[in-house]
Amino acid sequence: MLELKNLSVHYGPKRVVSEVDLTLAPGQTLGLAGESGSGKSTVAMSVLRLLPRTARVEGEILLDGDDVRTMSWGRLRAVRWASASIVFQGAMHSLNPVRRVGDQIAEPMRLHGTRGSVTELLEQVELPREKARAYPHELSGGQRQRVMIAMALACGPRLVIADEPTTALDVVVQAQVLAVLKRLVAEQDLGLLMISHDLSVLAETCDDLAVMHRGELVERGRTREVIANPRHPHTAALTAAFPVIGDPAHRWADPAPAPEPLLQVRDLVVDYGRTRAVDGVDLTIGRGEIVALVGQSGSGKTTLARTIMGLRKPSSGRVIFDGAEVARSGKALKAFRRQVQLVLQDPSSALNPRHTVFDAVAEGLRVHGLADDQEAQVTAAVERAELRPASLYLESLPHELSGGQQQRVVIAGALVLRPRLLVADEPVASLDASVRGEIVALLLRLRRELGLASLIITHDLGLAWQIADRVAVMHQGKIVEQGSVEQVLLTPSHDYTRALLRAVPQV
Amino acid sequence: MNRMGRTGLAGAGVLAVAALVALVAPLLIDADSLDVTRVTAQAWQPPGAGHWLGTDHTGRSVALLMAQGTGTSLFVGLTAAVLSVGIGTLVGIVSGHFGGLLAGTLLRVTDFFLVLPALVLAIALSTVLPRGLGTIVLAIGLTSWPSTARMVRAQTLTIEARPFVERARALGGGHGHVIARHVVPSVVPLVLVNATLAVASAIVAESTLAFLGLGDPTRISWGAMLHQAQLHGAVPQQAWWYLLPPGLAIVVVVLAFTLVGRALEAVVTPKR
Repeated sequence: MLELKNLSVHYGPKRVVSEVDLTLAPGQTLGLAGESGSGKSTVAMSVLRLLPRTARVEGEILLDGDDVRTMSWGRLRAVRWASASIVFQGAMHSLNPVRRVGDQIAEPMRLHGTRGSVTELLEQVELPREKARAYPHELSGGQRQRVMIAMALACGPRLVIADEPTTALDVVVQAQVLAVLKRLVAEQDLGLLMISHDLSVLAETCDDLAVMHRGELVERGRTREVIANPRHPHTAALTAAFPVIGDPAHRWADPAPAPEPLLQVRDLVVDYGRTRAVDGVDLTIGRGEIVALVGQSGSGKTTLARTIMGLRKPSSGRVIFDGAEVARSGKALKAFRRQVQLVLQDPSSALNPRHTVFDAVAEGLRVHGLADDQEAQVTAAVERAELRPASLYLESLPHELSGGQQQRVVIAGALVLRPRLLVADEPVASLDASVRGEIVALLLRLRRELGLASLIITHDLGLAWQIADRVAVMHQGKIVEQGSVEQVLLTPSHDYTRALLRAVPQV
Repeated sequence: MNRMGRTGLAGAGVLAVAALVALVAPLLIDADSLDVTRVTAQAWQPPGAGHWLGTDHTGRSVALLMAQGTGTSLFVGLTAAVLSVGIGTLVGIVSGHFGGLLAGTLLRVTDFFLVLPALVLAIALSTVLPRGLGTIVLAIGLTSWPSTARMVRAQTLTIEARPFVERARALGGGHGHVIARHVVPSVVPLVLVNATLAVASAIVAESTLAFLGLGDPTRISWGAMLHQAQLHGAVPQQAWWYLLPPGLAIVVVVLAFTLVGRALEAVVTPKR
């Protein structure tokens, strides 16, 4: 049905896709894996000729035997959506915020003059029919993604291209969306080309797997075989980057001795207006201990972290650090913030685009008036965060660095104050698989060398398995279960923990 | 260079010439030639060899008056713009950063000035306050800051919502640190653009006030020349040379400031 022959794409002199050959038969599901910049999305967009004008496309893209490259404009319009459609990544940006989702699902049917009912499509993706009258902001992330799927199916295409369809979703919702997609593909005998950086998601959905690296197709085969016996080193790196819960080889944390408490949270309550975001939480982090706080989005874990940092005022309850209650304002709070540092999810927005690496790292020193010997301290922190030699990076601006390097700068900015606790909010969620492993290793090395304790907030149970000593599971503002990693993740006692574990895609 | 850049450069060229005239004219022009009691020429002379732009109702050279007036117009325009942009930036950053009751109060004050017709307020102020250049600057500055305040506040709010500000707070940075290191540097380019546009409207406002006879009577400005021309019957005398030059000068300088402002805007606004 779809055949790519010798496909190459250039942007100016830069070759982003080189000589890719792929075939996809009806009813076949193919996963296309790769890191950011590997050219996987470019391949997908080229199928419907959606690349920008500046792209130079060579080779053949045969859709049902017709070359998409040479199709007339009218023919191309007919083919788009009716023969092949796309589920775009990030449903928030791909839906029009001022139109009801029902109208948006109906739009391709109206344009192509196909018959069909929005209600039926909504039922197929397991949404109640009343949702047709909803606006995008009234739906949750998972519901929006299902609307995108319904929209892709509107004209009865035979090929569906899904570009990172679950990237922004948490595990439970991701599992639901994948289940819907899998069922529809099987029922309607669709061809599915699914693009993701996450091998476990592809393993869950696709029979075949292709791996791209730097614009080239490095491996192709049955999903199970590729993952079990990767032939190309890059595929091996990708499979190794996704930890398998329960596998001792993926447990990187060394066993820590029972520590004395560093930070204690006692019966903490935080309200947002009438909603209770954090509801009576007790949590202890020991010296040099790494605690993972896991839960779905909206479970209150980020609010809890903000409150611990003193960025939010609790409604009641206490936060005790090193034996003394944390002040809510003034000099004492400032002193506390020197001891506890924050690492945010998206490093590109956590750095001021106008500040050089030096300024970003030195910011903490300046705030606390530790300006003497600034240069040496900044250099030491940057090298600790494994940006070596530091002199190469100090004058760079954030946009000149890769995502992993940016996250290292954020970590260096925290380290420069010699903190005793690091609060990291999804520290690796926006990073590529290979970089992710490096950052996890860095956090563990800092613990070993500096005795740095961490609170890692994540929805990724694999990360918790990899790095943490203890896990606390948060659900609707409450901590429903906490204990050692093995105990919580291997023998969960609470239903919610079991549901979370079931939702994790298995490689 | 793109079209925006070329027009901006042309505007900057006009402004450079105007600034040169404003600086040099008072040094070169002999005070006697502008003194009504000492001028020797006839009144209402059309442009000719002796007087390039003719003479006014007292026999003074219009060309000299124009040169002398450049300084006043530019001075009032610039200082009033600095005053208005300064107040606007301060109010905008304070209300955007602190929020709460303080911001509410400041915003209501801003709204109050926003709904008042600025010209009427300026007229009222300049009739109440003692006459002089300072009054004109004050009247214009106090009435034109609300739009800057609104814009700066909006920019402050967007910056404050960015994660790097949260990071700065988590590092222990207080209000002063966040404002000085993060908010101000990102607001400054916007404010600069706004300032050039504010100068243009301040020059127009000055001319309007002077034309209405509310200016400093001891100083010559382009608006004041138009006021004199209208008062002493330039129209029945058909003395177009007394009316056109100040009018055109205002248009050209205002246009130049606007062009420079637009070009700067294109420079500081990222394309993405």
